[in-house]
Amino acid sequence: MLQRVRALLSRRRFEENMSEELRFHLQQYAEDLVRSGVPLAAAERQARLELGLNTVKEECREARGLYWFDELARQVRHALRLLRKSPGFTATALATLAICLGANLAIFAVIDSVLLRSLPFPAAERLVTIYNTYPKAGVDRDGSSVTNYYERRGQLPAFSSLSIYREREVIVGEPGSTEKVPILAVSPEFFETVGVLPVRGRAFREEETTFETDQVAILTHACWQRRFNADPEILGRQFRVNARKITVVGVLPADFRFLSSGVQFFAPFASNPEERTARQRHSGGNRKYIVARLKPGATLSEAQAQIDSHNAALEAGSPQAKMLAEAGFRSVAVGLHEDHVATIRPTLWLLQAGVAVLLSIGIVNLANLLLIRANGRMKEMAVRQALGAGRRQIVIEVLVETTLLTLLGGLLGCAVGAGGVQLLASLGASQLPLGAQVVFDARAAWVALLAALALGVILAWPVAWFSVRDNALRGESRGATISAAAQRLRHALIVAEIALAFVLLASGGLLGLSLNRAMAVSPGFRPNHVLTGQILLPWTSYAEPAIRYSFVDELTRQVEAQPGVVAAGLVTNVPFSGHSGKSAATVKGHVSHPGESPRGSYSYAVAGNYFAAMGFVLHAGRFLASDERERNCVVDADFAQFYWPNGNALGQQLYSGSDATGQPYTVVGVVGPVKQAGLTDAVAQGAVYYPYRYRPEGELYLVARTATPPETLARTLQKVVRGLDPDLPLTDIRSMEARIDDSLLTRRSPAFLAGLFSAIALLLTTIGTYGVLSYAVVQRRREIAVRMALGARPNQIRSQYLALALRLLAAGLALGLAGAWVSGQAMQAVLFQVPALHPFVLGGAAGVLALACLAACLLPSHRAARTSPMEALAEN
Amino acid sequence: MQILPGTLDLLILKAVSLKPLHGYGVLLRIKQISGEALDIPQGSLYPALYRLEHQELITAEWAPSDNNRRAKFYTLTAAGRRRLKEETAGWNRMSAAIEAALRTTPEEV
Repeated sequence: MLQRVRALLSRRRFEENMSEELRFHLQQYAEDLVRSGVPLAAAERQARLELGLNTVKEECREARGLYWFDELARQVRHALRLLRKSPGFTATALATLAICLGANLAIFAVIDSVLLRSLPFPAAERLVTIYNTYPKAGVDRDGSSVTNYYERRGQLPAFSSLSIYREREVIVGEPGSTEKVPILAVSPEFFETVGVLPVRGRAFREEETTFETDQVAILTHACWQRRFNADPEILGRQFRVNARKITVVGVLPADFRFLSSGVQFFAPFASNPEERTARQRHSGGNRKYIVARLKPGATLSEAQAQIDSHNAALEAGSPQAKMLAEAGFRSVAVGLHEDHVATIRPTLWLLQAGVAVLLSIGIVNLANLLLIRANGRMKEMAVRQALGAGRRQIVIEVLVETTLLTLLGGLLGCAVGAGGVQLLASLGASQLPLGAQVVFDARAAWVALLAALALGVILAWPVAWFSVRDNALRGESRGATISAAAQRLRHALIVAEIALAFVLLASGGLLGLSLNRAMAVSPGFRPNHVLTGQILLPWTSYAEPAIRYSFVDELTRQVEAQPGVVAAGLVTNVPFSGHSGKSAATVKGHVSHPGESPRGSYSYAVAGNYFAAMGFVLHAGRFLASDERERNCVVDADFAQFYWPNGNALGQQLYSGSDATGQPYTVVGVVGPVKQAGLTDAVAQGAVYYPYRYRPEGELYLVARTATPPETLARTLQKVVRGLDPDLPLTDIRSMEARIDDSLLTRRSPAFLAGLFSAIALLLTTIGTYGVLSYAVVQRRREIAVRMALGARPNQIRSQYLALALRLLAAGLALGLAGAWVSGQAMQAVLFQVPALHPFVLGGAAGVLALACLAACLLPSHRAARTSPMEALAEN
Repeated sequence: MQILPGTLDLLILKAVSLKPLHGYGVLLRIKQISGEALDIPQGSLYPALYRLEHQELITAEWAPSDNNRRAKFYTLTAAGRRRLKEETAGWNRMSAAIEAALRTTPEEV
């Protein structure tokens, strides 16, 4: 083999050498002949004749194993000629392959980057995350607490390293030109846990975990390049973060990227001694996570067992042990990568299944077109076989032609796939977990070409089989009886194609219906004409609650004074922000009945005219006043319904927190429930709204109801915020409608793609049906002619083909119904309030397919009915 | 006299084993050492040479010929030498057997 390859590479030298050697031979021989008395011209002629130059060269090449190469080149040229001769077929086949392979490649590129490739850390499969869950309290996921980290590190033998990180946003830059930047605050062993250390400088130290000593940072490579112009003297340089000077102590390698975070730099995870105590063990919150590395040999289940017994030992005898058990508390260890992409995995595999079905339709279609084409050439093949062409030769010819076709299709498919990745990115793939890493690279291209090659070989077999059968000559002879086996196969393929298309159409319909139902859900407020933006009050300059409160107060008044603003307010967590923010509230006098779980409710602090700005519905009592000074609160209808089912919520008292300590708040109003996590969020957990004065948190959303289209006010609001504090940027400015739209991304994009796939499938099926039917007409031209000569009316002929089309359609739909049921079942996880089989969707899909099949049938049947008996019979 | 089928390779190996030769030289040498009795069809010589070279029984090298033209000279390789020995032994056994068979008289049956 190696020699053969070498021979190919030095092909030209081989030819030159061979020619020279044979020329030498001819000269020598001719000279000898001349010496024996033959005239020069005659001698040269005799020498050439005796050697037989061309035959010798051919045989020499064959002796050196070059025969195959020449033969292949010849076959490829022949195949290209054939493909050029039927441009309609070639274009259809190439377009089918390009679109079907390209769609598969694009989705595969996403799956490969998001689900299959391991995270860019050494032995990344050993990285796990641990989160707390209180399922019976309605809190499925609560991150981890600082206490969890301090209690666990070094205590769980299954882990070689355990660390905690917190997603944070900070304000970077000099006054007037500040920007909000995402960062990660990480514990000292974090870089050791993930297995990548800074390339310059050092990791964080244990003594840097207090608020007095945490003014250090480790930069990402990109941040070092962009913000600091890749300064080689970067270590020790200072920059301004949250109005404090921070010193750079390290720079990370260029390819370092932790999950999906676009962080610019890392800071130490600082905490107070108070935050590390047992009292704070369950103050997880949403943005603190533990990441740990399993020891070599240790398994996830061992680790889980150790966490469980560690938790049990810590809580043994504690006053909240009973409450935790009732809430179903557990700490769950799960693979870091798996956990990070868990939400998107079913949707991605669903899309991959969808494009795989599309590819199957394309392959079936192509098989049919190839079979029809082969049938058209059957006579030629039969004659060639009769004249002595070997079966092997014909099989190789078919194989070369088909693989050439699929390889060309594969190349085009790569182009379509690369474009498809761009399309997916614009449809929101880049916002998926790990989605920014989605690329169409050499790996995907190789997969495409290998798939194309395999496809060519698979498609070649039925064609080759029909081409070399020994009855080919008889089958195509004057009797005009068509090969029954070939016809059965073609019809079976069309039935399969219709069935697959039906499955795709029905699945697409379910996704569309599901999206429609999700969009019909009311968010609980009036989202039109609402503009929102995020403000982060750095605790360094806003340490005093009074300062924060007066800032918020002033901001509301100034925003409301702007022309075009109807009402404005602030909230600590706006709906559809992507953060859940549930915590416990304790109702005074509530005696939990046996088996009742403690509940986590959404808790918000609001200021200004938040309720009016968002367009809340008031059920009872009143909204909180814009300058609410009393310890009052507002609850939502779900909360009121749970604790005071008799409707006497007003005037009741509750405590924020999981026990009745501190001062209670009095309920002064009941508002309609709103969707916090997303429109399809099913859990009615209840919500409590506290006055900002009593819970002045630093993370805020400004909410303004506008008289004009909300986006037009974005600059105005930014200017107002900067006017109050030149250090503060207003970020993430989006209208409420845009937030809701974005929250539907994982429903809208798959529905759109399913619609696209269905349209392509429909087109392919129409082409396939048309191809088979019009071929059937051409094949039976003689038969039709005879029948018409004997008195058959054109309508009879026409209805015969219509009946054939309907039979194929009925068989395809019956098969497809079974497939649709299976796919509907498999899709339940991503559907919203839609059953696996929906009569309207199924009926619509069947109707569309029937229309397509009838349209495909029209032209061939019309042509059949217009057959002229004289002409058709004269042809033979 | 035409050569027996299958003996061309053996003759080429033998000719080349005596002295490195170019293709035309192989032709002349076989004629010479067979006492002008064996005639090689010119058309089958070169494919045979290429086949033997491909099997690495002989190797080729370009060198000036007697009349100072560039020619491709073939030499026996170690594997070629082994093959020549085997084939020669095989041929000797075969011809001895045939000779014995042909010498048989009615009395010996």
